[in-house]
Amino acid sequence: MAFSHSGESGPWRVGVLFSRTGCTAVIERTQLYATLLAIEEINSAGGINQRQLVPIIYDPRSDPALFARLAKRLIIEDRVRNIFGCYTSSSRKAVVPVVERLNALLWYPTPYEGFEFSPNVIYTGPAPNQNSVPLCRFLMRDFGRRFFLVGSDYVYPRESNRVMRELVLKNGGTVVGETYLPLGALHREFVPIVRDIKRLGADVIFSTVVGDSTIALYQTYADAGLDPKVTPIASLTTSEAEVRAMGCDVGEGHITAAPYFESLNSPTNASFVEKYRRRFGDDEPPNMCAEAAYFQVLVFARAVEQINSADPDLLRLVVAGIELEAPQGRVAISHEYNHASVWTRIGRLNREGRFEIVEGSAGPVDADPYLIGCGRALT
Amino acid sequence: MGERKSIVERAHRIELANLETVVALRQDRDTEVLIRVLQRCRMRVRHLWPVLGRLPETAEVIFCELTNETPDLLPWMPGEPKGALVVVLNEGEVPDVDLLINSTADGVLSRPITPGAVLASVVLACSNFRYHQRLRWRISRLDESLRSMRTVERAKEILMRTRNLGEEEAYRFIRQQAMSRRVPLAVVAQAIIDSHEYLG
Repeated sequence: MAFSHSGESGPWRVGVLFSRTGCTAVIERTQLYATLLAIEEINSAGGINQRQLVPIIYDPRSDPALFARLAKRLIIEDRVRNIFGCYTSSSRKAVVPVVERLNALLWYPTPYEGFEFSPNVIYTGPAPNQNSVPLCRFLMRDFGRRFFLVGSDYVYPRESNRVMRELVLKNGGTVVGETYLPLGALHREFVPIVRDIKRLGADVIFSTVVGDSTIALYQTYADAGLDPKVTPIASLTTSEAEVRAMGCDVGEGHITAAPYFESLNSPTNASFVEKYRRRFGDDEPPNMCAEAAYFQVLVFARAVEQINSADPDLLRLVVAGIELEAPQGRVAISHEYNHASVWTRIGRLNREGRFEIVEGSAGPVDADPYLIGCGRALT
Repeated sequence: MGERKSIVERAHRIELANLETVVALRQDRDTEVLIRVLQRCRMRVRHLWPVLGRLPETAEVIFCELTNETPDLLPWMPGEPKGALVVVLNEGEVPDVDLLINSTADGVLSRPITPGAVLASVVLACSNFRYHQRLRWRISRLDESLRSMRTVERAKEILMRTRNLGEEEAYRFIRQQAMSRRVPLAVVAQAIIDSHEYLG
């Protein structure tokens, strides 16, 4: 359909939906920063085909229902066809029906639980085969077979734990406990959980706690005197942003699997980190979610440049197949599921609050959101 | 008499009777015609005018004007409709195409309203709406099946290993359990996995 909302001239208008308030603002704010950084960079280089990129930004306040309403407003009232946004899977699931019905594209820069595909979503964070599978293999080899699963109580942690449980059991491990706390749970709510972890003699704590509660979990763990060298907390979402909030001493020794760490040693990343810090403050390190938020805008720009249109029906065709050099390394969007091929890496936190990369893939790994190709052993 | 009979008869092909129907249109002769036809189709019609705030969530069919406010009147989010929507155009009106798309209407009715056009619009809108609902339902079932398949596979492997069953036997075991307990395969499979896990 040729109802071009952007028009043939004038700026390219895009929507941006990351929370600046609410329980996941600590990480979503960095995704907003990185999105703006990419937009500013594109604009200072002359825009896309000589047209500036103009973001229309709302604060969905970590509330899925508000995410859906604002997505609707962006498409209908602001006449935007591309939205960069969403962190929690609950917010993504609230926005997906809206972008599907009104035919817009959601660019989603966050690790998620997989088992999803929509022609109206471009997924630029890792799916389980790109983070859970290598993480499980690493943990079982280096720490042991007894896993304790703890998560925030919503769709992403429950689904990620389902996948992790399956991987652990398939490979001869056991799950000694699985528990959920509400988003925004406080320190005192973690105390009995940490006590259980000690009592049950877990080798590894696999955490899918997100947002502010992450800080409470790691701090409670530290207060209980557990040793990360023996029983680390392993996560898919604890990034530089959360570590900065919890304190470097608290984070030391814990493990995260992600396509990107701020500590990556490459010219592209050095330049990204430098620009990010210069723009948002010296004590603001980027993280995996910010990096995906950043490179997905570059992918968008590359695609729009090729066809000189931001129409989702046309864009969808050219986005798949685009390859570019992101801070994490070379990335691409796969034809099959609109998911990014990203790097898999395991990072361990050092005393300075930086991730030391202890393991990683030799190149980008294709997403397998339905885990079709990795159902069995972790090899 | 003839017209009355034929509309009811024709409407019978698609189940319209008792549908909660909201007509959010200004009071005039066109609206009267519309309501009369809908009532003949045995639909439960409620006329709301002026419209204050959102239309009721229980509406299964909605007739409303096509204006900038239309998207805000709907009691559901785009993509998750609870009923069929017909927008009504004024005589000679050329609709704003963006607005028409954004209204997510299932059908259109133009003034002056005639009984035949009412029947056409309500039948098409309801049939399209139901078709979309069925597709959405099917997609959600497919998503579920993809997950279940993994669960069943795992349960099957456990049975094959622990009970020394062949693949076909293991699968048959799960299916029989599911049938005799009247629960989905995935539920039985999950129970097998869980108990295997707890028993070591």
